[in-house]
Amino acid sequence: MDESERTALRFEHASLAYGRARVVEEVDGVVRAGESVALIGPNGSGKSTLLKAVLGLVAVVGGRIEVLGRVPARARRDVAYVPQADTLDAEFPVTAGQVVLMGRYREIGWIRRPGAGDRRIAAAALDAVGLADRAGERFGTLSGGQRQRVLLARAIAQQPRLLLLDEPFNGVDAVSQEALLSALASLGAAGAAVVISTHDLALAHLACDEVCLLNRHQVAFGPTAATLTPELLRAAYGGQALVTDGVVVAH
Amino acid sequence: MRRRTPRTAPLLLAGLAAVTLAGCGSGGDEAGTPAMAGGGARLKVVATTPVVADFVRNVGGDLVAVSQILRPGVDPHDYEPSPADVQAIADADLVVESGVGLEAWLDETVQAAGYSGHVVDSSDGVTIRKGNGEERQAEGDPHVWHDPRNAKAMVAGIAAALGARDAADKATYERNAAGYSAKLDALDKANQTKIDSVPPGQRKLVTNHDAFGYYCARYGLTFVGSIIPSFDTSAELSGRELSDLVAKIKASGVKAVFSEASLPPKIAQTVAGQAGVQVVGGEDALYADGLGPEGSAGGTYLGAEQHNTDTIVKALGGRV
Amino acid sequence: MVRLLVEPFESPFMARALVEALLLGVVGAVVSVFVVLRRLAFVSDALTHTVFPGVVIGYLVAETDGIVWGALAFAVLSAVLLTLLAVNARVTEDATLAILLTGFFAVGVILVSRRSSYTADLTAFLFGRILTVDRQQIILTAVIGAVVLLTLALLGKELVLRAFDPDGAAARGYRVLALDLALNLVVALVVVASVRAVGTVLVIALLVVPGAAARLLSDRLAVIVVLAAAIGALGGWLGLAASYEASVNHGLRLASGATVVLALVALYAVAAAVGAVRSSGRLAFASGGLSSERAP
Repeated sequence: MDESERTALRFEHASLAYGRARVVEEVDGVVRAGESVALIGPNGSGKSTLLKAVLGLVAVVGGRIEVLGRVPARARRDVAYVPQADTLDAEFPVTAGQVVLMGRYREIGWIRRPGAGDRRIAAAALDAVGLADRAGERFGTLSGGQRQRVLLARAIAQQPRLLLLDEPFNGVDAVSQEALLSALASLGAAGAAVVISTHDLALAHLACDEVCLLNRHQVAFGPTAATLTPELLRAAYGGQALVTDGVVVAH
Repeated sequence: MRRRTPRTAPLLLAGLAAVTLAGCGSGGDEAGTPAMAGGGARLKVVATTPVVADFVRNVGGDLVAVSQILRPGVDPHDYEPSPADVQAIADADLVVESGVGLEAWLDETVQAAGYSGHVVDSSDGVTIRKGNGEERQAEGDPHVWHDPRNAKAMVAGIAAALGARDAADKATYERNAAGYSAKLDALDKANQTKIDSVPPGQRKLVTNHDAFGYYCARYGLTFVGSIIPSFDTSAELSGRELSDLVAKIKASGVKAVFSEASLPPKIAQTVAGQAGVQVVGGEDALYADGLGPEGSAGGTYLGAEQHNTDTIVKALGGRV
Repeated sequence: MVRLLVEPFESPFMARALVEALLLGVVGAVVSVFVVLRRLAFVSDALTHTVFPGVVIGYLVAETDGIVWGALAFAVLSAVLLTLLAVNARVTEDATLAILLTGFFAVGVILVSRRSSYTADLTAFLFGRILTVDRQQIILTAVIGAVVLLTLALLGKELVLRAFDPDGAAARGYRVLALDLALNLVVALVVVASVRAVGTVLVIALLVVPGAAARLLSDRLAVIVVLAAAIGALGGWLGLAASYEASVNHGLRLASGATVVLALVALYAVAAAVGAVRSSGRLAFASGGLSSERAP
């Protein structure tokens, strides 16, 4: 594999803005195929913004971001985004299986209906998160953790080369957490790169090769163990960080 | 094939087409063969206004079954036909209207009902006065019946139409019409006598409605100006128009102002209060657009017209 | 009972009214599912008011034939306006919508009040004249209905995705604004199709009630759409039959368009009752210690 194929995501002095206001400054780093990076920082540090920029939804005003060797907006086909499950309407009349199938829509294109192949891929994705038996149940009747797994399955169904997860472990039970980690590990083994924004340091240690510490500007970007030091954490969390059970609180 | 094109859309379209065609297929019924009322079945006649219905009943007698669309007190201009109205027209042997643009809704309703027979315009043959300039009166002043001579023409027209539709009973219709016309003549004469008894200086009419043009022309009354300056029963008076009218009333020296039956008397009262005249309203109100409730004195044409004349003459100082 | 439901429609004018009511009921109902899912009831109501001046202008220019074209022009304009409004919510969206809809509506009333026949015209525009629907109107309704249903069929899965997860849709590169404009246009087209038969005030019932009622009866989208269509059609049928029966056999005037709306509301009440039984049944089932709900 040559360099561009191995590099899923590259930040070069990337600075982001909403309108006039700069919200994130000088992010530098590389994520390679099969690697996973934890995005860690207090609320308002720009983590969600950074993820949106990788999707091409936020303007890059300084430096650049390269996704799979392309400009973010052109790489969307191969990038999957997993939102937090509780941002979605729990009353919506859609089954878990149907949610996962939504991951195939871009590939299917306008006007056409999902085919047998699409359904197979979706079923496999749901199986990968351990919820194959819940396909026919309404999305909102599942637990928080199960819903998060369904959303990951939706992303898997997309067959992406890069996955972005926005705080996927928030309020998730142990079983679901396990399932999520297992699925993410498989994805990594298959060559997909993963970026996970999280507050959970223990999970970062468990699941991620590298960490990007963010507080409106990049505090550090490097291998997990080396980067998750108390000094750097304090710098990222403004000296107010308290780590309890591996999770950063009081930010 | 990995992907299927949508199959339900063409099905839906076919369904829509089928339903549409079902709706288009139904044309109108023919009005039927000439009716034989003499055989016991009455001629089904739809009349729009209470006045026209009264004429039809008097000319047709037992030979007709009249469906009257507009109940007493209902404004003919803004009427929306009910299912029963449309059904009555659909089943009718003959439809009779007042005419002169009074029933703007009738054409559309007749079409919808599928009635393909003759719509008798009672005002056919009557000399129509100019309207007041509004587009609703584009065809002229529709209140033709307040002149009994016009009423006679309307009755004659109705009799002819009934006779044409039901030739077997033609003679009866004509006989009935002649008898009723004699009553109209008597009404006409009585009106003239009564109005002649009003002091000449007082022969002026101020009412809510521009509905008495034909009446005033026939009996030599002067129309000072209506309180609501248009045929539209729901238009309102601006401040300027109000003071103009009060000035006019005062200048004319008239003794009484007349409030029309189907309008709230408050408007008339305001003007009269400022101009210092008697307000004739409420139960003594004039029948301008139609007739009073069935069974009341004003429930027939003859009764309503006599009431109007008596009320006007008494208020203006004449003898009835 | 059967006599009540069938006899009125032996008259051609009632049959035509029924066809129009069925067309509008089904098309409106399918759209109403999306209106309910996207919580667009107020936006749809705003659309019925902003289309109104177009109705009046069309009528002033070209009499009854002009109504649909005036409505169409203002429908497109309104859909665009309301879509753009949602982008930049500086004043709360509700308030801005209310200002827009009352402003447009007032313009329409002012325009129509300059005619002396304005009471009649106004009631016709607001509440429709379903009994005098003719062949031409039915064809026009069918064409518009076909366009609406086709659009929903073609864009269906993307519209559902957007309704469920707008951020996810944006992340996948869908232009959410364009999808919203498409749906607003679809709603506006239903208003245009309905204006002569049911009027701009009553059409909101078609655009909300069937979908809301169906949602109470099922959790599965495909079933909801079918149920909504059935409810929309049934409301039209029952309402027309009731207003005919009342008028012809009891001398009671019940405005046909409004009676259809009441029929729909009654069906909603029935759906609510059934829905309550359904969910209390589920609760009993679940609390009995058995595993929690499987989709019905």
